[in-house]
Amino acid sequence: MASEKSGKDAVGTGRRGFLRVLGTTAAGAAVAVPLVAAGPAEAKESEADRVKARYKETDHVKTYYRTNRY
Amino acid sequence: MARMKFLCDAERCIECNACVTACKNEHEVPWGINRRRVVTIKDGEPGERSISMACMHCTDAPCAAVCPVDCFYTTADGVVLHSKDLCIGCGYCFYACPFGAPQYPQTSNFGSRGKMDKCTFCAGGPEDDITPVEYQKYGSNRLAEGKLPLCAEMCSTKALLAGDGDIIAAIYKERVVKRGYGTGAWGWSVAYKDSSAA
Repeated sequence: MASEKSGKDAVGTGRRGFLRVLGTTAAGAAVAVPLVAAGPAEAKESEADRVKARYKETDHVKTYYRTNRY
Repeated sequence: MARMKFLCDAERCIECNACVTACKNEHEVPWGINRRRVVTIKDGEPGERSISMACMHCTDAPCAAVCPVDCFYTTADGVVLHSKDLCIGCGYCFYACPFGAPQYPQTSNFGSRGKMDKCTFCAGGPEDDITPVEYQKYGSNRLAEGKLPLCAEMCSTKALLAGDGDIIAAIYKERVVKRGYGTGAWGWSVAYKDSSAA
């Protein structure tokens, strides 16, 4: 009887162990996926590049100024 | 050094909202956000005026002054930009801005607003110029392409001016000198005759 009970416990524990392993694997995958999905680091401008002047008085811009004088 | 500025000539604005549409299309702005909008005062009454409003790229920007994570920065040509990576969506800049420029893409029961979005003067953001990452977060970077903001460039009545502050101020001054103010505006007497004489 005792051996039968311990056998049942072993089956139950084994099943729980399976679920535990399954849960751990799923949690690990959830943590790993964003790391993989993030991919390579995005290019960022340096501090000096961030505040540099972007405006250029090109022919395009000069034409805009000229036509706005009408 | 040129200082970038917007100037809306209220005598010319016809409230067509093309600047709003052009901005949304150019930058693929998310639903619920208008980086630019047209405000009309005295709608339907004498003296009605419309003005196209967006971020005015203030010299001493109040949004930057109140930001708890210091995500704003001003470029050498006077454009106020921000980093969406640093923004926590607290909404302080929205309350501080006198023009209502900062906008948020989300509303939820728990107050999550998402990353703030605003007019960039078509100058992108802190990512490398003219890259897909920059476009996805901040829209196109027309200034780096040697152009000006699309809203101003395609304004049919040339009411919305953008560019070097000194130059657009000179353009506006020329217009005012030529047409005068208010009902003395150029073309007014032709279109409406002299109402006081009638």
